Amino acid sequence: MPAAIPTEEEASPLPDLPPPTPAPVVVRSPRAPWSSAVIGFLRVMRANPLTLAGFVLVVIICVSAIVVAAVPPLTQLLLGHALAATPYDPNMPTAALHQGPSFAHWFGTDELGRDMFSLVLAALPLDLAIGLSVTGFALIVGSGLGLVAGFWDKPRTLGGAVSTVIMRVTDVFLAFPSLVLALAVAATLGRSIFTTVLAVMVTWWPYYVRLTRGEVLAVKNLPYVTAARASGVSEVRILFRHVLRNILEPLTIYYTLDVGTVLVTFSTLSFVGVTGSITTPEWGQQVEFYQGLLPFYPWTVLAPGLAIFVTCLAFSLLGDGLRDILDPRSRRALIQAAQPSTLPAEVPAVAARGGGGAGA
Amino acid sequence: MIGARRDDGVTLEPPSANEPLLKVEDLSIEYRVGAGTFQAVRDVSFELYPGRVLGIVGETGCGKSTLAHAIPRLLPEPPAKIRSGKIIYQGVDLAQVPKWKIPRVRGTGVGMVFQEPINSLNPSFRIYSQVVESIRVRRMRDAGKMPSFQPGPQAFDYSRRPQLSTAEAMAHPLTPVLPSGIRDRGPPPIPKQLREEVLEALRLVRINDPETILGLYPHELSGGMRQRVMIAMALSQRPTLLIADEPTSALDVTIQAQVLSLMKELMEEVKTSILFISHDLGVIAEMADEVGVMYAGHLVELGPVDEVFGHPGHPYTRALLDSVPTRYKDDGPLPSLGGNVPNLSRLPPGCPFHTRCPIAEAPCSVSPGPLLEILPGRPPGIQHRAACLYPERVEARP
Repeated sequence: MPAAIPTEEEASPLPDLPPPTPAPVVVRSPRAPWSSAVIGFLRVMRANPLTLAGFVLVVIICVSAIVVAAVPPLTQLLLGHALAATPYDPNMPTAALHQGPSFAHWFGTDELGRDMFSLVLAALPLDLAIGLSVTGFALIVGSGLGLVAGFWDKPRTLGGAVSTVIMRVTDVFLAFPSLVLALAVAATLGRSIFTTVLAVMVTWWPYYVRLTRGEVLAVKNLPYVTAARASGVSEVRILFRHVLRNILEPLTIYYTLDVGTVLVTFSTLSFVGVTGSITTPEWGQQVEFYQGLLPFYPWTVLAPGLAIFVTCLAFSLLGDGLRDILDPRSRRALIQAAQPSTLPAEVPAVAARGGGGAGA
Repeated sequence: MIGARRDDGVTLEPPSANEPLLKVEDLSIEYRVGAGTFQAVRDVSFELYPGRVLGIVGETGCGKSTLAHAIPRLLPEPPAKIRSGKIIYQGVDLAQVPKWKIPRVRGTGVGMVFQEPINSLNPSFRIYSQVVESIRVRRMRDAGKMPSFQPGPQAFDYSRRPQLSTAEAMAHPLTPVLPSGIRDRGPPPIPKQLREEVLEALRLVRINDPETILGLYPHELSGGMRQRVMIAMALSQRPTLLIADEPTSALDVTIQAQVLSLMKELMEEVKTSILFISHDLGVIAEMADEVGVMYAGHLVELGPVDEVFGHPGHPYTRALLDSVPTRYKDDGPLPSLGGNVPNLSRLPPGCPFHTRCPIAEAPCSVSPGPLLEILPGRPPGIQHRAACLYPERVEARP
């Protein structure tokens, strides 16, 4: 403390000081502003082989889904026949039926001689779209409600009343096991894929409300939010820029992990039979359709089951690694870990990592 | 309507030398937590004249931060509640302004610098983005796209005597040292004119290489740098009143001295006045023109800093000064007061200090002493007032 009070000696006129040194000229390479983010992303990927595996799988799955759905001629060219329509020949030799996996038929054939790989591939766009759209709907609706419920939750105000209503309705939905509720809704609406998707959507958003509200409550009283408020920033802008940006990380991770969960739930529902007939290829239905063949021709069941498993695994691995990529602090720590330099690693950056991914 | 200045009927009075910029009258703030009520601030009155620094000093829990947050109405209500009193800022009583209009006075009117710069910067955005946010508020208000109280013309002369220590700080500006592993992220994606304004704001706080700082995240800066960025953000809005809530408490002593001299210097450039909250008597002595001493939610003494520290008029101020170690002599352990700070939910009747006061008499436990002038007849602004019935019995410092 005494150092803060200048004494008589210190207050005496100073000797001539050297002129201030000019700022060093930094030569910048012309790079797009996002290039550093891409470089960081690639480095993190290199440091985390599992995340890299998940990322590569997700990319492969998404690209194949797009190709299968959008470019039928290309699929036909690659497979040698139209997708899911292996020409049925009544005079087909018996040897062509229920073949085991081979180079010609990667996943084998079923009891009609249809190529299992083509059938699984034909179901890919639909199943991926279901996984992404149900979670997407839940993310938008659930997180939107969660943001409102968490940010304006002061008791005895309009916002507080709205918040209470949102949370009680959420509680009602969460009181039922989501699979049972979805089954009930889907069975009520009628047997089709569309109604089943609708049923899963209806039961899926409450988890996002809970998650988002909790994260908002944790962030909204942090000093930087108060600082933004003190500088005159409007409440809506604070909500989106300061609060939403800082909870985006757990939300993205949860969303990514959830795609697989939705897929499993939907497959369960269609395995039970609420999606109706087998005319549209879908993995859960395929498992159900071939289950009788399991003791004799196990590949017919394993092929769609494996597709569900791999898709879930890919999104789970990616979601797990996303936390390290989204948090700038842990991103730096990872980059440093991947690139051992002569300088000692930043201790605070590594220490900050534990607190960074809160709530994930 | 778009493009026209939104006028909400509230016009601020321009600062003048004779009118206080901020006048707090009998302000009482309480926290209602469960069944208990805590009197965090009680009957506090003071004035801050333009171009000056008013320091508020006191120990932890005495209500000084509550007071600071109450002025731009940043306290969470509930649990906090302004029970009575006025906060008159340029002729407008902020305690009476409806809550939804209050954001209009924040930032460009009443700016704030907080205690912990690491927590007060958003960890997800780079520095340029955060400074742009502050500048954006001022620009939009200037352009009339965002409602604000109309500020009066800045007629007041804010010039001060330049400080020698400031010259020293300017001659040796901080050069940022990039931690290992940080790459130059390239220029930020903002318009050139805005970028110039951000750079200017950062240069104002004597950051040597603002171009590099722009692209960094808050956690990549040192503590002193972060606080400079915070000050740059607050000052980029050109506030008429800057409230600094312990801005140097998280910094070490050398950085503290740099930041303090910087703030004093910038007051003149930005034409602002400062309400400076601190628990550090040395910081207040260096920084403030006037000082208010708080104890258990009460303002017990208020006056020019030399007088208050030289001839304290309240026994608590005296005890506070006695607890500061001096480097000139060693005469045993530092004196300390017996007893504890009274519970804010059950304050004793009378003077809040009388249970621990060495010179207390019977009348002290009956009614709290009002803030009385020790030497009456002085013009406002340099009065020395103490809430003690027997100020003449408080010894002057040796």
